[in-house]
Amino acid sequence: MIYEARQVGHVYPSRTGAVQSLQGIALRIEKGERVALLGPSGAGKSTLLRLLNGTLRPGSGELRFEGRDLSALSRRELRQVRRRIGTVFQLPSLVPSLSALQNALCGRLGSWTLGRSLRALLSPTDEDKGLARAALQTVGLSDKAAARADELSGGQQQRVAIARVLVQDPEVLLADEPFASLDPALRAQLAELLFEVAKGRTLVAALHDVEMAMAHFPRVIGLHAGRIAFDVRTEQVRPAMIDGLYSPREAG
Amino acid sequence: MKRAAIAGAVGAGLALCWWGAGLHAALDLRALASFAHGLLPPDLSPAFLRVVGVATVRTLGIAVSGTVLAIALGLPLGLLATPALWRRGPLAAGERRGPSAALSWAAASLARFLRAVPDLVWALLFVVGFGLGPLPGTLALGINTAGMLARVYADLFEAVPPGPVLALHATGASRLQAFAAAIWPQAAPSLVAYTLYAFECNVRAAAVLGFVGAGGIGQEINLSMRLFEYGQVTTLLAACIALVLITDAASRRVRGRFQRNAVHGSGVLRAPVEIRARARTLPALLWMALLAVAFQQAGFLDASAPAHLGRFAARLFPPDLSPDFLAGVIEPLWQTIAISIIGTAIGIALGAVLAVPATATLVLDDRDPAAVPARALRTAAYAAARFLLALLRSIPELVWVLLCIVAFGIGAFAGAAALGLHTAGVLGKLYAETLEEVPVAPVEELRAAGATALQRLAWAMWPQARETLASYTLLRWETNLRLSTVVGMVGGGGLGLALYNDVQLGWYPQAATLVLVIYLLVVATDFLAGRLRAPPAAGAAPASALDLVTAG
Repeated sequence: MIYEARQVGHVYPSRTGAVQSLQGIALRIEKGERVALLGPSGAGKSTLLRLLNGTLRPGSGELRFEGRDLSALSRRELRQVRRRIGTVFQLPSLVPSLSALQNALCGRLGSWTLGRSLRALLSPTDEDKGLARAALQTVGLSDKAAARADELSGGQQQRVAIARVLVQDPEVLLADEPFASLDPALRAQLAELLFEVAKGRTLVAALHDVEMAMAHFPRVIGLHAGRIAFDVRTEQVRPAMIDGLYSPREAG
Repeated sequence: MKRAAIAGAVGAGLALCWWGAGLHAALDLRALASFAHGLLPPDLSPAFLRVVGVATVRTLGIAVSGTVLAIALGLPLGLLATPALWRRGPLAAGERRGPSAALSWAAASLARFLRAVPDLVWALLFVVGFGLGPLPGTLALGINTAGMLARVYADLFEAVPPGPVLALHATGASRLQAFAAAIWPQAAPSLVAYTLYAFECNVRAAAVLGFVGAGGIGQEINLSMRLFEYGQVTTLLAACIALVLITDAASRRVRGRFQRNAVHGSGVLRAPVEIRARARTLPALLWMALLAVAFQQAGFLDASAPAHLGRFAARLFPPDLSPDFLAGVIEPLWQTIAISIIGTAIGIALGAVLAVPATATLVLDDRDPAAVPARALRTAAYAAARFLLALLRSIPELVWVLLCIVAFGIGAFAGAAALGLHTAGVLGKLYAETLEEVPVAPVEELRAAGATALQRLAWAMWPQARETLASYTLLRWETNLRLSTVVGMVGGGGLGLALYNDVQLGWYPQAATLVLVIYLLVVATDFLAGRLRAPPAAGAAPASALDLVTAG
């Protein structure tokens, strides 16, 4: 088992009082599983993914990664966990003034010392370049290695973000609505690329696109108002469950 | 009705400052006339020109090495003081609170202290610690500017778009790695531009450090004034103005490569651009040699006794906090605040009057139907206003204090008047440039409706510019408050005079208390002005960066 959550809750402090973003989340995810997270905006999908990649601490409950309680880890141990978890974000997550190659190399930061990473940023070794070039080739951008990230189109930027994950080579891949801002044709291409990259890894993806979730994921978790509305195998999903997820009246 | 009430309150406040602080304006016309007469002819004898040359090079050396020191100290401090990296926000959300949050807070506090105590106060203390010479001046300039830069840097790091930072953090990058890979590349262009601003300010500051014995142009001006050698003062002032204008122009050229529309002071409001192709104008070796000369000029090779400094620092403690002494501090404190308010008021009035003819879009418009002589008159008024503003601005405040002492006699009014004259130069230029950059569409509509230049100013330009003008003015008042603590050092009254006397008399615990009072005063106004000020719009320059612009 790679993830285990018990009664996990999270509260965002805000000016008008605290906002309960997640409540009573209980789930188990096995190694190698493919899970789609569905739910309307504000349902808590992004918060859940940030909890899973160790950049947010649960406010209550317990979240275990390979049996280790994430809240109990030291900063160093958390870094070691994070480097094994890759995340593809919504745009924009690239450093605009760095080249595609440098952005891809950033995937190694978690395994490098500060000195090593400074060297790689200023003058990458041939080995570094080879690593990044191979990743960029896999995502179909071998001709754009020297281009600055802010000169690339939205689709190309998201490809570089995937190349960064390839360079990181994590065991778990998280994706937070990675195609939300792209047009449908591009979305299909990039989805294929992402599934290709996810082979042999655990994949948890928050998606807008219900059809894509049904077509490519064996397991679907529906989130509504910070709670798990359903957690079933794809073939058990009924249209009413999806409708309930997106209707405002159905309280989680 | 409401306006009348506000005007009444402002008037009453100014009057209170005036009387309460014991300001007396008694213009001594005869002294002023003999002074003006003495200014000409300038002393151009070869022997004196050599003195001027040496002093100018020394001033530039102090400015350059002070800025280098400030970067070396300000960058790590700024990095540590950035809240988003160590204290709050997405990077801290996944972890338990560690000691780095406390360290970051300490760095921010240290930067605030270095910044809040004016460079001249630092210099005054260091001169006692190190002895006369450029070294204490350079160190003073270095640490004061370091505090300034640390805050600007931290604000710039904090304002970087968070998406890429969070993405790298999630891959397991440490904070320093996330900084190096995601924050630095995004912040670097603005950082260079504002560092150059700081350098420009430092050239002016280096010119006055001599007043407390740190060498350079200021020391020579101070000396010549006290010897009544006014012809020498003319030459030295000309050298000072030339140095300021030349370094400004050079720095502005470099800055233009990093910042769109950086030609004007208020160009700071524009988004920074990045340089893609770096033009190497000088080989690295030559730069190193120039830097070495700067440090040599700044007195780093004849540093005699840091141990001496330690002994002096020990004598500052404990500060004298006896009720008797504290009661005696109230009067100079009040006088200092009054000097800053009256000085700023004079600066606003004079600056506004000069800003109108100095606004090119208002005065130099070919489309206005006017006879040839009228047009020539307008051009002449524009040139005269710009020249006057440049003159007011490039003569340092402390030199204005000396000149005002001649005119008004020693005392708080000389300080307020000096501050007012310099402020008029700074604010007048910023006002004119803000008016020039106002969106043109509403102005053109009024013109089409037949409005005169002054009507366009009142109905289209002023309403659009008024908030920017107000924020510049508020920032300048903050600067003036810091400055009014030091104008006293050369006879302008207030806390500066008290501090100067205590240091000269060797009353160090009392001096330490005064430094503390100055610090608290500056921090309190910072807080107050921060509450008054509207938060900067997204993508706009942070307030700390504008602070640098209004300081020049």
